[in-house]
Amino acid sequence: MILHTLNALPDTPAFNDCLSLLSSQDSLLLLGDGVYGALPEPLTVLERSGVAICALKSDVAAAGLTDVLPAHIRQIDYDEFVVLTEKYPRQQAWY
Amino acid sequence: MNYSLLVLSAPATGTSNLAAARFAAAVLAKGHSILRVFFLDAGVETGLATRVSPQDELGTLPLWSALAEDHDIELICCISSALKRGVVDQRESVRHNLQAATLHPAFSIGGLGLLVEATNKSDRLVTFGG
Amino acid sequence: MSSNSGQTLVVLRHSPYGSGLSRSGIDAALAAGAFEQSVNVLFLGAGVLQLIPEQDASTIGSKNIGKNIASLPLYDIETFWVDAQATAKFGIDPQVLPPQARLLDRDALRTLMCNHQHLLSF
Repeated sequence: MILHTLNALPDTPAFNDCLSLLSSQDSLLLLGDGVYGALPEPLTVLERSGVAICALKSDVAAAGLTDVLPAHIRQIDYDEFVVLTEKYPRQQAWY
Repeated sequence: MNYSLLVLSAPATGTSNLAAARFAAAVLAKGHSILRVFFLDAGVETGLATRVSPQDELGTLPLWSALAEDHDIELICCISSALKRGVVDQRESVRHNLQAATLHPAFSIGGLGLLVEATNKSDRLVTFGG
Repeated sequence: MSSNSGQTLVVLRHSPYGSGLSRSGIDAALAAGAFEQSVNVLFLGAGVLQLIPEQDASTIGSKNIGKNIASLPLYDIETFWVDAQATAKFGIDPQVLPPQARLLDRDALRTLMCNHQHLLSF
């Protein structure tokens, strides 16, 4: 069980390395530039792994994507980020 | 739970440094403790006392120094990264014959042993980069 | 190398000289060893480029990262876990890797990561 935090644009080495190590047992938090991973094309790719995906609300808003992201991608705040770290014993930062 | 943070990103580059500060505040608000925040590589720039943020931008130094002051959290800048980037306390400034000390008082200079100790003693280690 | 969950895995993902993170990551692994803390290292993605032999970093005014990597066994880090897929992608002949290198496919890499309590991401 890994909490992946992705702060990189789609098609970057960080995005691709992260993608190759996702599992349905993990969670993926998109933050910073990572929120663009929730756009349709990269999202389809990310979702193939079955990983649970959410995005940091403030960064989604900064990118102008609040109403663009699909409803099933939870937009979370920092309290919920902490909850994720409580649940997942290890975090891998991709950037 | 006991948390430690590893911050690799500079305050003025991207949003990761701000995310780390906000995350740290949320950790404490939830009742957890933070053993140490270790700044490494470009992250050591967080400790510069000599930065001037533009008026319409939120610098992260006020957030970090408030965490240190209000919650007694250790903010450590890795010595090797710090020296390379001109982040020096009075002691290092004198030792290297530099013209000024640049480290904000909320921060300390320390070695990687403190990161190792933090990973050893923490339930959670969260890294912020990019 | 034992794989109990109290350990730290240093994950090295960057090229040797394109980022200061690579050097910092190796130094963190060395520091852990010096303080007799159990730590493993994983060269993932572009991190495998750090293992290319005969680097001459003097040409760019830098210290050769290979020297630091060669010190890892002195601190009981006797296995370097290496991303097999990235090694193949970059066309690196496994024969030229350090003797401590052990190649892992992506599934095995994931298992390695899950066998550690903390992941230090460099």
